[in-house]
Amino acid sequence: MAAALFAGCSKDTKTETPPTTAPPAPAVDPNKPVDGGTLTIGTFSDIVTINAIMIDDTSSQDVASFLLAQLYDVNGKGEVIVSPWSIAKEPFTISTDKKTYTIKIRPDAKWSDGSPITVEDVVFTYKTLSNEAVGAPSYSAYAQIADVKSQGTDIVVITLKDVDSRFETSLTANIVPAKAFKDMKPEDIGKAKYGTDPKETLTSGPYLWKEWVEKQYITLEKNPNYWGQKPHIDKVIFKVYADQNTEVQALIKGEIDFLETVPVATLDALKASPAIKLFEGAGPVYDYVAFNFNADNWPGKWVPFAGAKTRQAISHAINRQGMVDSVLKGHGSLLNGPFLPGAWPDSPEVTAKWEFDVNKAKQLLAEDGWKAGSDGILVKDGHKFEFELMTNAGNKRRESYAAIIQQNLADVGIKVNIKTLDFSAMIPDHFAPGKFQALLLGWQLGLDPDAESIFSSLFFPPAGQNAGFYKNEKTDKLWADGYRVSEKAQRKEVYKGILQEYAQDPPYVFLATQNIITAYNERVKWAKEDQPVQAIPYGYFYHINNWWVTQ
Amino acid sequence: MSEYLIRRLLQSILVLFLISLVSFGLIHAAPGGPTTMLIKPNQSPEIVKIQLHNMGLDRPLHIQYWSWLTRMLKGDFGTTFKAGRPVGDFVWPALKNSLILMTTAWVLQMLIAIPWGIYNSTRQYGFSDNTAAVIGYAGMAMPTFWFAILMQELFSLKLNWLPLSNMYSMNKIGQFSDLVLHMILPVSVLVIIGLASYTRYARASMLEVLGQDYVRTARAKGVSEGKVVFKHALRNALIPIVTILGLDLPGVVAGAALTETVFNWPGMGRLFVDMAFAREYTVIMAVVMIVAVVVIIGNLIADILYALVDPRVRLTGKGAASA
Repeated sequence: MAAALFAGCSKDTKTETPPTTAPPAPAVDPNKPVDGGTLTIGTFSDIVTINAIMIDDTSSQDVASFLLAQLYDVNGKGEVIVSPWSIAKEPFTISTDKKTYTIKIRPDAKWSDGSPITVEDVVFTYKTLSNEAVGAPSYSAYAQIADVKSQGTDIVVITLKDVDSRFETSLTANIVPAKAFKDMKPEDIGKAKYGTDPKETLTSGPYLWKEWVEKQYITLEKNPNYWGQKPHIDKVIFKVYADQNTEVQALIKGEIDFLETVPVATLDALKASPAIKLFEGAGPVYDYVAFNFNADNWPGKWVPFAGAKTRQAISHAINRQGMVDSVLKGHGSLLNGPFLPGAWPDSPEVTAKWEFDVNKAKQLLAEDGWKAGSDGILVKDGHKFEFELMTNAGNKRRESYAAIIQQNLADVGIKVNIKTLDFSAMIPDHFAPGKFQALLLGWQLGLDPDAESIFSSLFFPPAGQNAGFYKNEKTDKLWADGYRVSEKAQRKEVYKGILQEYAQDPPYVFLATQNIITAYNERVKWAKEDQPVQAIPYGYFYHINNWWVTQ
Repeated sequence: MSEYLIRRLLQSILVLFLISLVSFGLIHAAPGGPTTMLIKPNQSPEIVKIQLHNMGLDRPLHIQYWSWLTRMLKGDFGTTFKAGRPVGDFVWPALKNSLILMTTAWVLQMLIAIPWGIYNSTRQYGFSDNTAAVIGYAGMAMPTFWFAILMQELFSLKLNWLPLSNMYSMNKIGQFSDLVLHMILPVSVLVIIGLASYTRYARASMLEVLGQDYVRTARAKGVSEGKVVFKHALRNALIPIVTILGLDLPGVVAGAALTETVFNWPGMGRLFVDMAFAREYTVIMAVVMIVAVVVIIGNLIADILYALVDPRVRLTGKGAASA
């Protein structure tokens, strides 16, 4: 089988053969990178644009990361650093008032047409991202910018309206060429040919954009004049697949080499294929149940979740470990608070564990004044404990979670009615205006741990995404403090306070994080430190320059 | 005949207009939009409003429809909301790819199904007829995508005879022989699934005709069996088949979403599903209108063919009427 695997790549294999007088059977050290070859990556959806200002989807950002250099990069822990392929020359400096960032850029960074990447390009990129009229999908990450200006030919100074330590991760933006958007009105930047037509798109990364055939493939070739650390792999192809199962079959067949994520259901087939390697890690994603505290959503304007002990009881009553074991088949882990387990802001010693304990749950409910009614359902102040749990239809994981929650809460006398709705209807009609009783949904986390817009009462619907109208004055202040202090140790201390508070007054039932299982053909090689990191956003190809392929 | 055609044409324009109006209304009534298919923790409602404004989606619906219609009449399908790409860039390649796949399957299906059905009608309940019946029931009962996956599993993964999916291998883009190789599996799936019903139609239609008095008369006159079947019976038996052919023609353009998905064929079916999820209204409308035009043409062709194979049918200005 292995021999037939790469029938589709025979042409590329040929070009890899050293043209010089190589010995007939060279002893190759498998751990030593070789230059050349093609890496074929499967993607579940086509790109939309690689215009970094307007990117709003993972496929586009993945492809853009091969084509466009970032001002700063991140390391495997998600920390902002200068790498051999960043546009910045050295670490940024922050003024004493913590509002001004000074960045020095490399003099030798170049666009694909040979012209230099200038301070004007950096200034234009940040001005555009922070211009509300452009409607950049990532606008909120740049909204706090007050001013961007250049000093001389190699310094960019960004001043914020207020101290905001979240901004550090915004220094990793992909820089766009100012000249590609010359004389364009802000509202037209999203309609530029730049980013959709390979011929009209100046790039700055290790690869050049050769071709995009919609719904089929995107081809990238090594940039011979690349200014950063040169990559080993000659050619990168993104192949677009319509369906995850088709993608996995193509990986098994050898038509593609790498898949960021594969469904758990395909693991047996993948494990049976000797050429396929798998590794998994926690993804930056979690599922939760949000309580709704807005009385308008409840009959008689009476909110059953008002008591903190009631919410604690619900967290104890739900067998979350059972969810991880049976629904995720062990490919995930429990989550007890708003930070990923093991991430720097997490303080497991103060985080509530919410161990599955029916008796404790019953006791807490009794302490909060709930008594069993004649039909076994709890009653308090004349109100039955019954609520509707909403989740999106078609998501098997969440549907299974909902069924487990329904069963577990029935065991302590709470009646749950499950309602599933199409995601596209649920978001505008229920999530955005905060119209639900309880909601089972998930979050994908960014590089910065701040979650003020989810948990602070400043962000009640429709202004923000605290869709359950959770209010806690202590944590409202702490979330804001979290980005007003700049040292990581100080931030961690602030977030510790939030975790302590949430152990008493939980806004959600935090359920679990899902692991991401990455699958690739053994011909793709990397050193340990260059391995993809699932826990950071866009952590798959962040060290692509160091990867190599055999054959 | 020409009076009839003009009348049908005018009717068609009205029908197309109504289809466009209804589809436009329906897709805009569906929840969600190009900006709300993802939720991000920090996305403020203001920025979504600005995005909608920049995409022109904050205008009243009738104004959006009018601007779409006037562009459409000039042959311009408009641009996508995200990235502002011309809709034609998506639709025309997808249409071409679907046509390649679907016409091949359709023609093969006809070439096999009609003669086979006719043959089976003359040897009712024979081996060939029973085989066709079994394939027929299986073909109708099997979900297409499941059958397609089984074929992939066997011929591509296990036996390694054929490519798994896509139109071309990456190093053979544009090569005809490679395209043919990639078409074998999806075309086989479409043919086998479709074969079932067409063979049954042809057989049933033929059997009905063969049982009629004039056929018995012909046989009684001593006309040879071959002449009875091909000269006397066939022409009449073709009438219902032609109708079905005309009605199925739009499928050639609309593509086959499931087969295209499993075989990763970049056709119209897949495009429509993808764009429906992304709420790219202009692309959806373009696909709907192209398919609508073909539906109308298909019906027209069926009516004309009807007249050709059945002299009793005359096409008059007052619509098709039989004598």
